[in-house]
Amino acid sequence: MKLLYKLPQDIETRIKEDGEQILCATPYDLEIQQPVNGFFVVTRSYFYIFKNKELIRKEKITRYKEYHHVLAVGFGHLEASNDEEETLLISFSMRHVNRYQSIATILNSIVENHVPKIVSDDEENNCPKCGRPYRFGSRVCRHCLNKKVVFKRLYTIIKPYLLPLFLSLFLMWSITGINLVTPTLHRILVNDYLTPKNKNLTAILLIIGGIGLCSLANTVINVIKNRLMIKVSASITYDLRQTVYTKIQSLSISYIENRKTGELMNRITGDTNRVQHFISNEISIGITQLLTLVVVTILLLVLNWKMALFILIPVPFIILYFRFMNQTFRSMYHSQWRISDRANSLLHDILSGIRVVKAFGMEEKEVSRFSKISKTLSDVTANNEKRYNTIFPFLNYLMGIGSFFILYYGGSLILKEKLQLGDLIQFTQYSQLIYGPLGWLTFFPRSFTNALTATERIFEILEEEPKVKNLAPETNLPIEGNVKVDHVTFGYRPYDPVLKDINLEVKPGEMIGLVGHSGAGKSTMINLIMRLYDVDEGKILIDNRDIKEINQKDLRSQMGVVLQETFLFAGTIYQNIVYARPNATLEEVIKAAKIANAHDFIMKLPDAYDTRIGEKGVRLSGGEKQRIAIARAILNNPKILILDEATASVDTETEYIIQEALGRLIKDRTTFAIAHRLSTLRNATKLIVLDKGKVIEYGTHDELLKKQGKYYQLVMAQKELTKTRE
Amino acid sequence: MSEITYLKPKNAKFFRNNNGFLGLKFNDVEYSRVNLIKAFPFSYENKFISVRDKEQNEIGIIEDISLFPEEVQKLFTEEIERRYYLPKITKIYSIKDEFGYSNWEVETNYGRRKFTIRRDPNNFVNIKANMILIIDVDGNRYEIPDYTKLDKKSFKKIELLL
Ligand SMILES: Nc1ncnc2c1ncn2[C@@H]1O[C@H](COP(=O)(O)OP(=O)(O)O)[C@@H](O)[C@H]1O
Ligand SMILES: [Mg+2]
Repeated sequence: MKLLYKLPQDIETRIKEDGEQILCATPYDLEIQQPVNGFFVVTRSYFYIFKNKELIRKEKITRYKEYHHVLAVGFGHLEASNDEEETLLISFSMRHVNRYQSIATILNSIVENHVPKIVSDDEENNCPKCGRPYRFGSRVCRHCLNKKVVFKRLYTIIKPYLLPLFLSLFLMWSITGINLVTPTLHRILVNDYLTPKNKNLTAILLIIGGIGLCSLANTVINVIKNRLMIKVSASITYDLRQTVYTKIQSLSISYIENRKTGELMNRITGDTNRVQHFISNEISIGITQLLTLVVVTILLLVLNWKMALFILIPVPFIILYFRFMNQTFRSMYHSQWRISDRANSLLHDILSGIRVVKAFGMEEKEVSRFSKISKTLSDVTANNEKRYNTIFPFLNYLMGIGSFFILYYGGSLILKEKLQLGDLIQFTQYSQLIYGPLGWLTFFPRSFTNALTATERIFEILEEEPKVKNLAPETNLPIEGNVKVDHVTFGYRPYDPVLKDINLEVKPGEMIGLVGHSGAGKSTMINLIMRLYDVDEGKILIDNRDIKEINQKDLRSQMGVVLQETFLFAGTIYQNIVYARPNATLEEVIKAAKIANAHDFIMKLPDAYDTRIGEKGVRLSGGEKQRIAIARAILNNPKILILDEATASVDTETEYIIQEALGRLIKDRTTFAIAHRLSTLRNATKLIVLDKGKVIEYGTHDELLKKQGKYYQLVMAQKELTKTRE
Repeated sequence: MSEITYLKPKNAKFFRNNNGFLGLKFNDVEYSRVNLIKAFPFSYENKFISVRDKEQNEIGIIEDISLFPEEVQKLFTEEIERRYYLPKITKIYSIKDEFGYSNWEVETNYGRRKFTIRRDPNNFVNIKANMILIIDVDGNRYEIPDYTKLDKKSFKKIELLL
C-alpha cells in the first residue's frame, strides 16, 4: 500500500519549515459528504491536514489517546479521541479505506511511543501505469496489457497446433484455387465449344468432366479439412481447459471465494470454447477469405475493370452499413444474453431452493416469476431474430445489385460483340465469390475482439499468483503437532480485522476448545491454522516452523478436518472415505468407519460401503454424513485435528454417538474444537474465549468457571436453555 | 428481547454533545455519543432507525424521523450524513466497455465523477423498482434513484444494462 505520496511543493515547504520529517503523506477526498482535495501528513510528532493545499489543522499526535478508523457505509472517517474530546479529522472514499486503516495503526503506535515501521510500497489496487483499477484480487492491468502481449499469448496457445493449422490452411487454399478454376472452365465451355459451329463433343465432355472433377476434389478436400479441424479443435479445448482448471485449483481460497462459481465455470468452459473457436475457425478462414478477396478483386479488375467497378461500387457502402449495424447487433445480442443469464440464475436459485418453495406453498409465485422472465426472453429473442432476418436478406439483395448492372452492361457488350457470353458467365461467377469474404470481413473485428477478451480472461487466471504461496519444497517430514499462534492479526478485508493480536501455544496431543459468540472469529482462526489464508500480521508456527515455510501438501496431509456442513462428493461411501488416501487398505477403511461409529449404519444399507451417495444416490441424514466425514478425517491419521461445529446440526442422541467417536479420534492428536454445546468441550486441555476478534479468557474449564467471566456466563446461559427445554 | 423499544420525543432527548456529535438522554441514562443505523436504507430511509451506543448495543428505535421536532431532525441528518454516503447520479455522460469493465463518467449531486465497475451483475443492482445501485471497483457506491427520470440520452446508455 502506498503511504507516502509525493506532496505538492507548497505543502512540503510548509512542513519543512517546522523541521519535521514526513513519515506518511496520503490524500483524502471527502469532507464528510463534500468532495475535496486534501492531504493528511504524519510526522514524528504532528499530524497536518491540508485542504486544497491550505493547512487547516495541525496537532500534536499525542494530544489524542487513540485514533480510530471508522468504516461507515460507502465511505470512512479518521477520528481521534482522548478522555474529554472526540473529533473527526478527515473523511475519505472507499478507495482510501485500507490506507487510513494503516494510518490509524501508525498514529496509535506513535501515541504508545513505538516507532512505527512504515512500509509504503507502490503496490496498489490501481495499475501504476494507467491508474486504472485492477480487477478485484488481480494484479494484471487489463488496459496496459497491450494488444501485442495478448497476441503473443494467443500465439503460445496456438503454437503446438501450428502444423495441423498450416495443413488446414493449405487445404483451404486448394479449395479456393479450385473454386477459381471452375469459372474459367465454364468460360471455355461456353465460348469455345457451346457454339453451333463446334462439332467436338469429346471436348465438351472433357470440360464437363473437368468441372465435375473440380467439384469432387472440392468436396473431398473439404471433408479432409473438416476432419482435421475437428481433431485440432478438440485437443485445443482439452489442453486449454486442463490448464485453466489446474490453475484454478492451485489458487487461494480467497480468489475463488471472491468470484461466483458461475463465473469460474464460464472461464473453464465458455472462454476456452471461444478461444478454441477463434483459433480453429476464424484464423484459417480469415486468412483464406482475405486471400480470396484480394485474388478475386485482382482477377475481376484484370478481366474487365469497367464491369469490376459495378461490383465494387456498393462495397464501401456495404462495409459502412455493416459497421453501423454492428453496434446494433451487439446491443441486441448483449441484452438477449443478459436476460437469458438472468433466467438461468433464477432457475438455478429456485431449483436449489425447491424445498423452501414447496414448504411455503410458493409454487405459483415462482411459476409466475419465471414465466415473466421467460416471456421477456422469448420476446427479446423473437425481436432480435426478426430484425436479423429482415436486415440480412435485404443486405444480400443490395450486395447483389451490382450484378444486375453487370448483366445489363455485359449483355449490351455481347450484343455489340465486344464480349463473349463465356466471359460474362465467368465474370458473374467470380463476382459471386467476392461477397462471402466481404460479409465475413465486416464481422471479423467483432469475433476478433471476443476472442481477445476471452484470451485475456483466461490469461488473467493463468497469470494470477496464488495469494497464499506454496514455496517450500515437499519434504514428507512428519508433524508433531506443536502449534503456536504468535501475535496474529487477520481480516478478510485488510481494513476490517476479524482477529486481533491473538496468542496461543498448544503442545502435541492437547485439545483446545474455541468458544465465543457466532461471528467472534472461531472459524477464521481455524482457517488460518489450515493456512487457507495468510495472516496479515504475526506468525503461526507448527513445530516451530512458520507455516508459510511448510509445503502445503505436507501441512494439509497432516491435518484432518470435520466441519459443520459436510460435503460428500457424488460417489460411493467407500470412495468418499478414501478421498484423501486412495491407497488405504480395506481393513483401514473399515477400522476408520468403526472409530467414527459409522460402520454399523453403513452395513445396514443394502449396498454397504458401495452405496452411492450424493445427488443421485442415497440420501443420508446429517449425522450419518458427519460420521462419514469423521471416518475420512481419521483415515488420514492426521496429527492436527480440526472440528468446527462438527455436531451442531445433529440431534442429541446422534451427537452422543459422534462425540464418542470424536473422543476416540482426538487421542494423541492436537485438536482444535469448536462446539456449539459447551459441555462437549469440558475435556479440552485449554479453552480460549474469543470476543470480537480478541482472546478475552484462557484456561481450563474449571479455571474459567471459577473466574465467573464470559465463559461462565455462556455456560450458565446454556444450562438455563436446557432446563427450559426440559 | 423481542420487544421493540421505541424512542419518542417524549422519552428520548437528543442533543449535540461538546464534541459536536449526537448524544442522547433516555430513561435517565445519558449517552454522550450515539450512532444511527437505518433498518431499510433503500426502501424506507426515514423509518425504523436504530440508535446505538458506542459498543453498538441498541438503545432503541426511532420509528419515524418526522415524529421529532425539526431541530432534532437536523441533528439526525448530520449524524446520518456521517454514516451514509451515496452520491446520486443525475446524468450519464459516457459508459465505455473494455475487457470486462466499464468506465463511467457521470454527473452526481456531488459533481462530476469517473469510475470503473467490473462487469458483474452484483455491481449493478436493482434494489427496488426503478432504483439502481452501482458499486465500483474500490467499493464506492452510487445510486440512480429513478432511472425513468433520467434524461433520454442518459437512459439510452444504461438501457442495455437493465
Ligand atoms: N470468507 C469471508 N469473507 C469475509 N468475511 C468473512 C468470511 N468468513 C467470515 N467472515 C466474517 O468474519 C467474522 C468471523 O467469522 P467466523 O470466524 O466464521 O465466526 P465464528 O466461526 O466464530 O462464528 C464474521 O463477522 C464474518 O462475517
Ligand atoms: Mg464458525
